[in-house]
Amino acid sequence: MGLSTPASGTKITAGPRPLADPDGIRAPHPVAVEAGTEVRSSSLWRDAIRRLLRNRLAVAGGVVIVLLCLIAIFADVLAPRSYTKTNFERLNEAPTRDYPLGTDQLGRDLLSRMIYGAQVSMLVGLGAQIIIVAIGVPIGAVSGYLGGRADLYITRFIDVMYAFPRLLFVILVMSMLGAGLMNIFIAIGLTGWVGIARQVRAQVLAIKEKEFVDAARGLGAGFARLLSRHILPNALTPIVVAVTFGIPEAIFTEAALSFIGVGINPPTPSWGQMVGEGQQYIRSYWHLCVFPSIAIAVTMLAFTFFGDGVRDALDPKMK
Amino acid sequence: MVQYVVARLLWLIPTILAMALVTFLVMHATPGSPLDPIAEGANPLPPEAQKVLAKHYGLDKPLWHQFGIFVAKAARGDFGFSFVYKTRTVAEILRETFPISLFLGSMALALAVAGGLTLGILAAVYQNRGWDYVSVSLATVGVAVPNFVLAVFLIILFSFVIPLFPTGGWDSPSNWVLPTVTLAAAPMGIIARFTRASMLEVIRADYTLTARAKGLSEAPVIFKHALKNALIPVITLLGPMFAAVGTGSFFVESIFRVPGMGRFFVQSMTGRDYPMIMAVVLTYGVFLAIMNLAVDLAYGALDPRIRY
Amino acid sequence: MKIPRIPDAQLDLLAERLSAIGVGRRDFLKVAAGLATLGAAGFNARPAAAAPKLGPGEKLAKDQHLRIGGGGWWQNDPSSHDYNKDLYCTGVAALWAGLMKFDVNFQPVPYVASKVATNADGSVWTFTIRKDSKWSDGGPCTAKDFEWSWKRQMDPASKNPYSSYFYDIKGAEPFNKSKVPDASQVGVVAKDDWTLEVTLEGPRGYFPVLSAYLAALPAHRPSVEKHGDKWTEAANIVCNGPFTLEAWEHNKVMVLRKNKHFLGAKDVTLDKVTIPIVPLESGALPYENNELDLSPLQTGDLKRLRDAPATKGQVFRYPFPGTWYLLPQVTKPPFDNVKVRRAVAHAIDRESIVRVADGFAIPAHSMIPPGFPGAVDDKKIRDIQRFDPKAAMAMLKGTPFEGGRNWPKITLTMRQEGLGSKPLAEAVQSVLLEHLNMKTDLEVQEQRVFRAGLWQHNYQFVWIRWFMDYPDPHNEYFDTFYGKKTEGKRQAWVNDAFDKELELGRDTRDTKKRMANYAKAEEIMQTDAGYIPVAWVARWAAAKPTVRGLEKNKLGETVVDGNIYVDMLPQIYMVEKA
Repeated sequence: MGLSTPASGTKITAGPRPLADPDGIRAPHPVAVEAGTEVRSSSLWRDAIRRLLRNRLAVAGGVVIVLLCLIAIFADVLAPRSYTKTNFERLNEAPTRDYPLGTDQLGRDLLSRMIYGAQVSMLVGLGAQIIIVAIGVPIGAVSGYLGGRADLYITRFIDVMYAFPRLLFVILVMSMLGAGLMNIFIAIGLTGWVGIARQVRAQVLAIKEKEFVDAARGLGAGFARLLSRHILPNALTPIVVAVTFGIPEAIFTEAALSFIGVGINPPTPSWGQMVGEGQQYIRSYWHLCVFPSIAIAVTMLAFTFFGDGVRDALDPKMK
Repeated sequence: MVQYVVARLLWLIPTILAMALVTFLVMHATPGSPLDPIAEGANPLPPEAQKVLAKHYGLDKPLWHQFGIFVAKAARGDFGFSFVYKTRTVAEILRETFPISLFLGSMALALAVAGGLTLGILAAVYQNRGWDYVSVSLATVGVAVPNFVLAVFLIILFSFVIPLFPTGGWDSPSNWVLPTVTLAAAPMGIIARFTRASMLEVIRADYTLTARAKGLSEAPVIFKHALKNALIPVITLLGPMFAAVGTGSFFVESIFRVPGMGRFFVQSMTGRDYPMIMAVVLTYGVFLAIMNLAVDLAYGALDPRIRY
Repeated sequence: MKIPRIPDAQLDLLAERLSAIGVGRRDFLKVAAGLATLGAAGFNARPAAAAPKLGPGEKLAKDQHLRIGGGGWWQNDPSSHDYNKDLYCTGVAALWAGLMKFDVNFQPVPYVASKVATNADGSVWTFTIRKDSKWSDGGPCTAKDFEWSWKRQMDPASKNPYSSYFYDIKGAEPFNKSKVPDASQVGVVAKDDWTLEVTLEGPRGYFPVLSAYLAALPAHRPSVEKHGDKWTEAANIVCNGPFTLEAWEHNKVMVLRKNKHFLGAKDVTLDKVTIPIVPLESGALPYENNELDLSPLQTGDLKRLRDAPATKGQVFRYPFPGTWYLLPQVTKPPFDNVKVRRAVAHAIDRESIVRVADGFAIPAHSMIPPGFPGAVDDKKIRDIQRFDPKAAMAMLKGTPFEGGRNWPKITLTMRQEGLGSKPLAEAVQSVLLEHLNMKTDLEVQEQRVFRAGLWQHNYQFVWIRWFMDYPDPHNEYFDTFYGKKTEGKRQAWVNDAFDKELELGRDTRDTKKRMANYAKAEEIMQTDAGYIPVAWVARWAAAKPTVRGLEKNKLGETVVDGNIYVDMLPQIYMVEKA
């Protein structure tokens, strides 16, 4: 996304400019950085932040994310009512002044439940993603980089994990570890990293052939350094996109799990469950389903814009 | 290259065996017995009846023995009788339902690719202008709205409000439209986003600059030079995506009454229908493995530097 | 002829037979209601159903085509239609006709049998079969067919998990348990083509009930022998009921056609019935879009259809008796203290709770819903667990939780299911919190995992629903709560006085005395808070105005096909659209 215009010039002229290469070096992270001083390194970050801040949508996204986190953290203070307070007189009411977003099947305030729902959704979304990235990225990177037999074995392993019966596994995990938020994102995370692994692998396969990598290797950069300093930063794009998609995906997976009875237990509100359970009432009580859907969509948009912004900011070739 | 393909195909066998083993173990480890009667509120079977049923299903043998029997039979295409649909073999059921899911999945994927690529390219080319915002918003909505909600919206809109299509079934082409659109929405959004992101990277690349500098007009620049390189992440996606939609979506097939195999994924697991679980997982796994091979080969075609 | 009174020991046996086939309480209770008058008017075939009653200016529709489905009816493809071999096949029962059938008041009445007679003590039953009883291929459906079918069901080779259903028949058990090599000693004999004589192990006044059940339906021997398991496919099937299976596209649709060889064919008006396989997720959409004529409803749709003027008159309630109740596990604190249990009972605000089910539940103060034998409407019993927050708190005095403090972790466990179960549980949580300051965690478990834990009494506090199977309080209380049961007990609660009342009820002949026993049992159970009744189940369906002929029972309720009464389709007729 990137709305940033070229900064004061640090980027192109003075800064760590890549060696010109007509063959298409997409990597902005040149060997030159190694030789650079600390000053150059920090100016890279400063550049990145500046670029990020110029990107209005990214900033908007970031602000929304921060807001969501704040809402999640300060739910107790923000929510007008307790999310368990039922009101049998006013079931399934559409939005009114008293209840700005309406009430649910037990007469609970939808607004309060949405606010608390932010906690669960953020946790499930982010928690699962953290596990997914932590497992998937290294596996994909190593597999792509090493190539040959290692790649072969690892990709076969990824193939097997792909076909893994996630549902069964979750039932198994939940029955062994019991219900609980942590166990849900362990279960989702442990079975969800395969997509990102393959993406990273694909990127690494493409990048490792590039000249700058040879150059870095020539200069003595070791395996880990190559991966972390040179290759991965260029593989960011699909990672960022996958993570931004992964968050709503985790939210919906949790909701789908609750349909069979292995999701988060009521009365804890979760946006995904609210959408799932509200679906059968769409034609009678539209608000039950629509508001949480909007919340999920907004969250996703926020992560999308922000994620794009971050990736653009780290890419000095952005014009 | 040929060596590579042959090797990969040969590798299919141990991969599938591994999938089968893992699934088998997880399946047996999960609590809940397939021997319980399905009827609501029914009491558990008396012990002799349980023994009889267990023997009938071969569940009284030790696990490794059961697995061996399973592999031997599966190699011949015999997955046994479904525990739930007792008079029908799993192979029979899948034979009837898999082609339908595959068909629906293919249509949905075609729509998703066509729509997604278009949206993604438009967004990248017109970055930060009108088309970009439209495209990203559409993509986001496509993914953020779950397909069971979208399905109901579409039905209300196009079956009730504007009576164009029936609410479900699978008899004539008019039945195909709504499920395809519903199923294509999220993949389209994902493809659009990935396309856009990687197109942007590529457009900024030096070689694009070079191509433009050489005087090429915009269209060949985009389509010949940029797109090919941008497609790698997108292709990576498509493999598993096709496997996922091709084996059926539980919700979409349920809401639209499509007689596909999607519902068996969930049903077999909650019903502990062991033969069906194994068959379903393996079908998915094989499909996936083949798609991944196709994807890896496609990398080679797209980017000559990727060598095997 | 009159049959001997059915002693309660026999009712116990009947309960056992039915529960073995998983029919359990639900149907048992419904059927037992009719046992009191079983055979009182003799067992002669009733006159055929009256011709369709048309209103003024109405005409029978030219196209007698009914489309049913949705809302849980055939949400999955049946595994077969072979009720003779597999009671859980979920096939179409209207393809078959048994010796007897249940009428809309769950009374067994003769069907393929024109007459039923018994000897003095009810140990030998003779069924006289109508001479116009035929299979759909025109061949006669004789006593020999029934003999063969019943023996097939008892055959150990069929691997029926519930073949103990027919253990009342002499020699059935040894045959089924493979103690004898063949069925020659089994007491089912076709004396000739039209007479079936059944010799039982002893006096069994209820035997006609067994013969009216789905488990006693026949099978067509030549077809079975020719096609094996596939004999109920549309191309192969030969049946003797009001309809035949014209087409069966797996996972898509089943089409029934009127069976012109059916012995009651002249009274069947419908010509064609289409049953699409409609998963629950579709909701009422197909019905609203006029793709279905008759469909049960789910929670999301009831209110909307009831409120909309266009569909208001199409919605009706049908009996599907069941009870939601709470089980505080007496072996787990804090529920090991009866005062705590009673306090919980007083805190249950039933009126408020049932509102969240949006029409699918009504407040319950005892196990048996009104209108069924054994229903108690005693003020005394109502009072025991009445909603009374002050009394609830007062109960806690003297316990460590006085004033609603110091509650330990309490988990309310339930099974994942629909039709308002979860909101009801959450409502229960809410009232407990409000009136007792008792915070509970709701644990929703996957079906089979839940059951496994239930039988082992692992759960501290259970939210559970029980369907009535059989309209007799014996089965309702005995099968659910009898303390001395060795397996299939849902809770650890045991009470000797309660058990005694149940045993008395089982063995007493006098109906009035029996009911008193059960009322006392209910009182004991509620006083000891072995369970806490919360709500009774209500079910709803919708039928287009062109659908007529749905029968009403003696309470005036419209009855649709269930597990016992399966005679809906032959009664229905379609009228021209107004």
